[in-house]
Amino acid sequence: MIKHKKAQWPWHALTALVLVGLALSLYLATSMISYEWRWNRVPQYFAYQAEEAQRASGNGTVQDIVRQGETARVTLRDEDGAEQVLEVAQDSLQFSRGDDFAEGDVIGVTRHWAAGPLAWGLWTTLWLSVVSGAFGLLIGLFAGLCRLSNNPTVRDLSTVYVELVRGTPLLVQIFIFYFFIGTVLNLSREFAGVAALALFTGAYVAEIVRAGVQSIAKGQNEAARSLGLNAGQSMRHVILPQAFKRVLPPLAGQFISLVKDTSLVSVIAITELTKSGREAITTSFSTFEIWFCVAGLYLLINLPLSHFASRLERRLAQSD
Amino acid sequence: MIEVRDLLKVFDTRGHVVRAVDNVTTRVDKGEVVVVLGPSGSGKSTFLRCLNGLEDFDQGHVAIDGLPLDDPKTDINAYRREVGMVFQHFNLFPHMTVLENLCLAQKVVRKRGKAEREAKARALLEKVGIAEKANEYPSRLSGGQQQRVAIARALAMGPKVMLFDEPTSALDPEMVGEVLDVMKTLAQEGMTMVCVTHEMGFAREVADRVLFFDHGKLLEDSPPQQFFAAPRDPRAQAFLRQVL
Repeated sequence: MIKHKKAQWPWHALTALVLVGLALSLYLATSMISYEWRWNRVPQYFAYQAEEAQRASGNGTVQDIVRQGETARVTLRDEDGAEQVLEVAQDSLQFSRGDDFAEGDVIGVTRHWAAGPLAWGLWTTLWLSVVSGAFGLLIGLFAGLCRLSNNPTVRDLSTVYVELVRGTPLLVQIFIFYFFIGTVLNLSREFAGVAALALFTGAYVAEIVRAGVQSIAKGQNEAARSLGLNAGQSMRHVILPQAFKRVLPPLAGQFISLVKDTSLVSVIAITELTKSGREAITTSFSTFEIWFCVAGLYLLINLPLSHFASRLERRLAQSD
Repeated sequence: MIEVRDLLKVFDTRGHVVRAVDNVTTRVDKGEVVVVLGPSGSGKSTFLRCLNGLEDFDQGHVAIDGLPLDDPKTDINAYRREVGMVFQHFNLFPHMTVLENLCLAQKVVRKRGKAEREAKARALLEKVGIAEKANEYPSRLSGGQQQRVAIARALAMGPKVMLFDEPTSALDPEMVGEVLDVMKTLAQEGMTMVCVTHEMGFAREVADRVLFFDHGKLLEDSPPQQFFAAPRDPRAQAFLRQVL
């Protein structure tokens, strides 16, 4: 059959149409339950203007007020003649020149930008993912190589580890780590959470590493050994670099999974993205908006991650 | 240079016992080129792989340059440094350029400096006639070129002995010549070589001795003129009738 070159753009257009249709039906569905969208309430959960009250340190009168743009410089003199100078936001000024004040009175407030709960949650999710991902990779590499060891004890122990972890739910492991091991060893909740996630990821990475190493042709190891490299050198310089190239796609999938699984540590009261989302809802009542935002933030981590993985994959493919 | 005494290698796969190398005794002197012939499954490749410990054997004594392989105190990695091996399927490291293929073992095992190992690698690539491919990846090379790189890679370690395991069997016919030429040059330079091959021309022209294997047994050990003109063993006679 002769290959015909067909235009691709009508199909892309159709894809766009389907997506627009889906979004539209979603909008219609929410309007049917007369949900009121309040997207304007969302930004304050990322960053807001925090106010800090400035208080007088004694009893006295307001000596002087100098207004400079947004701020006002207030000079206070107390009964002992000591001066106190405060800088406050102009529109928050509570006193005029000559007024008397008592100790502890709020003269005004200063404002500064502060990160909101969603921003903190995003940060917590990020560092949880990075730390437990790094440890998971190390544990997985070690356990995967142990599964290939010639020593039966080492092999059996790593098999037990992998099977135990893969055969139980992550949620249960997190509970065990926090309530059992955490209590016995007096671990912080962050430590327990990271440990549970790292061990969980490690078990899957171990299987990925094992499969990757086993997929490299036996001749590669023979060639390396025949040149005088020992088993470790052969693994380090010849087998693992090739295996890494092959396991990159499943490895990337595992890390993307890990980022999403960090949401489970909210059950031991670590305020990561999901828990901050829940907290934001309790004060804003904008359930739909916040959950969409939370989903979007997970995507914000994972899309660059998969983009990075596919770029790395292409770079490593240059020797093919 | 190479001494083999009563070498025995038994494959036992689910009760099916095969004596792959059956009481082989022979020796190879320094500078000698020995060609190992025999039908497929005769144990000649296994015999070769026993010589550098890629296959562990059941009984017997193997020593290269006085270093015994059967002695548990022998450092197998130190032993293999002195023994170069060339495989049927080249086994180049696909994730490294040709130059890196030649430099890896020099760096990791011999601890040579960058300038020294690269100079050595380039000189060897010059010698096997592919200096211009130094920065290519193996996948961009033809089979013949890959096998020449593999020979250069083994030579980079400065081995005392070279083992060839059917080096031309996986090549397209027009590429066999270029690899054999490199091997002939090596032989003329006085390298001690053991070659498992099906290239009768090479055996006739280059070999000092021909070993004929069948069913794991060394049946004939004679100079090529004698082996090809008047083989003594009936199985060698039958084999030669088939291939010539």
